[in-house]
Amino acid sequence: MLSENIKKALGPLGLEKVAPGDYAKTGYHLEVAAAPNQMPAVAQVMRDQGCFLESLTALHFREHFTLVYHFAHYEELCRTVVKAVLPLGQQAPTISHIYPGANWYEREVYDLFGIRFTGHPDLRRILLPFEADFHPLLKQFEEEAEKSETKADA
Amino acid sequence: MLEPLEEKTYILNLGPQHPSTHGVLRVVLEMEGEFIVKADPDIGYGHRGHEHMAENRNYLQFLPNMGRVDYLHALAFNHGYCMAVEKLIGLEVPERAEFIRVITAELNRIASHLLWVGAYLLDLGAFTPFLYCFDDRENILDLLDRITGSRLTYCFYRFGGVPQDIDQEFIDGCRAFAKRLRRRWKDYDNLVTKNIIFIERTKGIGVITKEQCRLYGLTGPMARGSGIPYDIRKSEPYSAYPLFDFEIPIGENGDIMDRYLVRMREMEQSLRIIEQALDKLPNGPIMAEKVPKRIKPAAGEVYAAVETARGEFGCYIVSQGDVKPYRIKLRVPSFANLSILPEISRDTLVADFVAILGSIDVVVPEIDR
Amino acid sequence: MIKIGLLEEALNLARANSLWPMTFGLACCAIEMMAAGAARFDLDRFGAGVFRPSPRQCDLMIVAGTISKKMAPAVVRLWEQMPAPKWVIAMGNCAISGGPFYYPTQYAIVPGADLIIPVDVYVPGCPPRPEGLIEGILMLEEKITKRGRLRKFRDVK
Repeated sequence: MLSENIKKALGPLGLEKVAPGDYAKTGYHLEVAAAPNQMPAVAQVMRDQGCFLESLTALHFREHFTLVYHFAHYEELCRTVVKAVLPLGQQAPTISHIYPGANWYEREVYDLFGIRFTGHPDLRRILLPFEADFHPLLKQFEEEAEKSETKADA
Repeated sequence: MLEPLEEKTYILNLGPQHPSTHGVLRVVLEMEGEFIVKADPDIGYGHRGHEHMAENRNYLQFLPNMGRVDYLHALAFNHGYCMAVEKLIGLEVPERAEFIRVITAELNRIASHLLWVGAYLLDLGAFTPFLYCFDDRENILDLLDRITGSRLTYCFYRFGGVPQDIDQEFIDGCRAFAKRLRRRWKDYDNLVTKNIIFIERTKGIGVITKEQCRLYGLTGPMARGSGIPYDIRKSEPYSAYPLFDFEIPIGENGDIMDRYLVRMREMEQSLRIIEQALDKLPNGPIMAEKVPKRIKPAAGEVYAAVETARGEFGCYIVSQGDVKPYRIKLRVPSFANLSILPEISRDTLVADFVAILGSIDVVVPEIDR
Repeated sequence: MIKIGLLEEALNLARANSLWPMTFGLACCAIEMMAAGAARFDLDRFGAGVFRPSPRQCDLMIVAGTISKKMAPAVVRLWEQMPAPKWVIAMGNCAISGGPFYYPTQYAIVPGADLIIPVDVYVPGCPPRPEGLIEGILMLEEKITKRGRLRKFRDVK
């Protein structure tokens, strides 16, 4: 079983959580929580296990970002989600040297959330114009939200 | 005496308005003579902020957007999003509705592939196949138009089923269409597949290895053309697909020709699925009984994947127990598929570059979201 | 300006009946534009089927789809590159007003082609059917020549 193998391979990394997921409910076979600086090691394990990077995105919460990595496998049905909590204002290490496909995903996350990836070869905006000065998917918590509401009303 | 030029390379700007970039894709090419040293795709010219929009509307209000992300295979995107929300709120879809979803999504897949064949051949300089493909495609659109009410940007599936049942006329129409399209395969073969110009331009060009597929996360015909039998319909069965017997066509060499052949054979498989679904079509309701009027899922998250004409569409929804989603990430196939372009277009001719770019089957607003 | 009445009228008649649109698709509507040019709807019947890839050879720009803020400068430049006389059709709700994508905090799109270039005919729909685009082109013919094929249908009470 692939999920067992991944679990075993991830063992030595000392991750926060490696647990089987509820596939019927969430669509995950394996749920992993890691620190952002463990991500290159996790990605290397996933690459050695033959998985591909399905998607990479981020979530913006009040205190922190959460980087969400999805991995899947071509031959065997096994979707692994890896979540890395990143405090606001910090940088995450890139995994684009392990998965070249992550290059664009990381650029997208930088573009939409403003998260910088250290070691990324080419961290430019990808979707918005290069001269844009905002990151659209950042949540506007309270005071900012009020400001934008009054702006829209005026 | 003339001084030799210092710089050996020059920059060629392809797009954003260029007939062979399928919309508004811009590629900055660094050229050395006729050969490409570096290709740098610049995307985002079709960025419409779908994900930002999702956070500002409730679940049902976001549904029409799904027809406009990938407008060529809109029903698969409908399907993926509906599946994700249904998983999130724990809704069972009646069997007949699943069958109708499969039939319409497969019809839509054929329409999408037909459009690709026509538009791709147009890129390569052949105009006639375009007319043939659109002729066939219009027949599908007529069928779908009758039951969904639109020709292109469908918003046909609802959470818990479909809003409109299919009737005998639609079933007969589907069967007649399958018969008609099967007769056309020979035309396409003679016109395109056996065409020496087409063969010369596609054989051995734009080769992608299996390992490259994996590193870039390619899915759909791009991966299958390289010999990876990865199709969500088989590998992660959803909806009514496990009930049908169909094959996953794969290529051997991973070149453009293989990707073309994979798509052509896929259409035949889609016809098979449609016919089986029509044969087995069960009676019963088309809508789940207890669909909440106001969709307010508990906090949690879900990832649902479907196979679109271009590859895997994954819908990742994070809910915080609100009527609006906290975040929706659309994992679109062409985004990953296009990211391999700089790699495979190195040291190719500009003419081949156009052939390679077309073979990826990009839908730019889908990449940009 | 010297106005050469009769010649102008003849020229306009010629222009209206051989509008050359630009191969210029932005989003979903572009597919319906292609469908309008293809086998069934056949824009060639109205002389408008010669899609040109270069703006310098065109006299009709069909803005088919959402104009993103990133694309807007390119749209303006394309329009400027077209030789006069030139016309613009805004095809679909996005090109008319931003359509389904416009809401107060929208950051990515230009709500309406007429904010950046002058538009002659608006064709509503999301996307408009090819018939809609054809009607738009016939309306444009009418605008150019002050007479048209549609008028006789419309005047019937």
